[in-house]
Amino acid sequence: MSSGFMSIGEIVRGVTGGKYSAAEITEMYIEKIKAADNTIGAFLAVCDESAVDQAKAIDEKIRSGKRPGKLAGVPVAVKDNICTDGIKTTCASRMLENFIPPYNATVVEKLLDEDAVIIGKTNMDEFAMGSSTENSAFRKTKNPRDITRVPGGSSGGSAAAVAAGMVPAALGSDTGGSIRQPAAFCGIVGLKPTYGLVSRYGLIAFASSLDQIGPLSRTVEDSALMLEVIQGMDEKDSTSYRGEYQKDYAESLGRDIKGLKIGVIKEYFTEGLDSEIASSVNESIRHFESLGAEVDEVSLPAAGDGLSAYYIISSAEASSNLARYDGIRYGYRAKDYADIDELMEKSRSEAFGAEVKRRIMLGTFALSSGYYDAYYNRAQKYRKLLKSQLAGVFEKYDLLLGPTSPVLPFRIGERSDDPLKMYLADIYTIIVNLAGLPAISVPCGRSREGLPVGLQLIGPHYSERTILQAAYALEQELKLEL
Amino acid sequence: MKISRDDVVYIARLAKLRFSDEEIAKLTGEFENILGHFQSIDRMDLENVNADVINKGQESVFRDDVNTVFPDRKKLFRNAGSMRGTYIQVPRVLE
Repeated sequence: MSSGFMSIGEIVRGVTGGKYSAAEITEMYIEKIKAADNTIGAFLAVCDESAVDQAKAIDEKIRSGKRPGKLAGVPVAVKDNICTDGIKTTCASRMLENFIPPYNATVVEKLLDEDAVIIGKTNMDEFAMGSSTENSAFRKTKNPRDITRVPGGSSGGSAAAVAAGMVPAALGSDTGGSIRQPAAFCGIVGLKPTYGLVSRYGLIAFASSLDQIGPLSRTVEDSALMLEVIQGMDEKDSTSYRGEYQKDYAESLGRDIKGLKIGVIKEYFTEGLDSEIASSVNESIRHFESLGAEVDEVSLPAAGDGLSAYYIISSAEASSNLARYDGIRYGYRAKDYADIDELMEKSRSEAFGAEVKRRIMLGTFALSSGYYDAYYNRAQKYRKLLKSQLAGVFEKYDLLLGPTSPVLPFRIGERSDDPLKMYLADIYTIIVNLAGLPAISVPCGRSREGLPVGLQLIGPHYSERTILQAAYALEQELKLEL
Repeated sequence: MKISRDDVVYIARLAKLRFSDEEIAKLTGEFENILGHFQSIDRMDLENVNADVINKGQESVFRDDVNTVFPDRKKLFRNAGSMRGTYIQVPRVLE
């Protein structure tokens, strides 16, 4: 068995072909977690016993001649805001420190149906609010490429676990860039699917009109395989896509991208973009051209103004979604209180971290009488305008291209005292969520210091196949050793 | 935008959150800074945009309201602080 990176395909072929057992694979990855996670801090829980039991059941299934699943024996880490039956799901918050879901999220059921092994739960910014994973109530996660730096966020634990080789793939969630930005910071692939393509049932809500679950992996092909498994219509999610689903993301990789029309978002290459990121992305544009893609600069005037609308809408939805944590039925409850109001206020104030409280406050403000029109309504109008500008652009282009993040992975603590500066880290990723589009971050180079740079490809709704094909073409062309 | 300490205290009350005097002072400054940035949305021309129009092809999804029994009651109640018989016991919420 290889001790280096193993792709999903390699693991599945090995397990189903009898080269090694699912139990051996799982034990190998548990050893890797034990060896690396004291330094990295990617996991909040490692399910060593249940994972090995699950793997043994898969081995038994194969031995008895039953058809193995598409992810037979593949250990997958799951972000800790995705419900796992019998396994604590904390959202990295004191509020849910002892919360054990009575059911699996649909995506977890889908992974289990295809014989993946749930190996652990990963660290994140509390309730997915943050861009560095420093807002976790439990531990700081370090970037495996440079442990003095953050892994990005909010799915920083999932990204770090994959980048450090502790798992072949992980699930994250992306409300404003929380899969793509940590993928860029850690030098891996992160895919945010079209809103509705992957069920949100069992994803603990942050901003319901923006949240989406997606995969993080070392290669584009592995993200394609993961998407094939986790997507699908779900009666339990009323926003689930009810049309036809493409099923051949992995199979269609490697196809020619000659003639593919790519628009480079002009507004992303302005002040504030790190020059090393700009040069890596520009270099990749030349690669796309040499592969036969037609690349043009395109203006998307609304793209530069999305940050305010994003933070208004996401905070407003968060203030409403997090109102359920009242200390009454489940979650943290304050010890001393005189009446019901004090019970709620103390429970919430003691259990939520500073950033969560800040967002609830911002959202409450934006929805409050007298400010609703000026903030929330205008933000919704902006969202409409953005969608129509994007629809216009996608009449001419198959994909849009830009950097994933304006900055390289920053040092731990560097931005944590300045919330606005932290919010600016999301500036290139948020429009995708506001418009419900799919997008991928794929590694495209390294800075002089060796820090990873991510490139973002954005497509129209349900264009995951094209996005994955283009990302794959770049990945094969660059052959980066990260 | 000018934000006062009283504004922050008022919003905190709506949000069912409590802050120390020191936290309120810090939040007031942060709010002013963030809301100042949010005002960029005022500079945009959104006069002719109607956010209430539903996009073509989009429709509301309905389902029948069907009762189902959760298979494992013990699991379902495992996050309740305490139980009395088959009831979840909660702190007194009515005065």
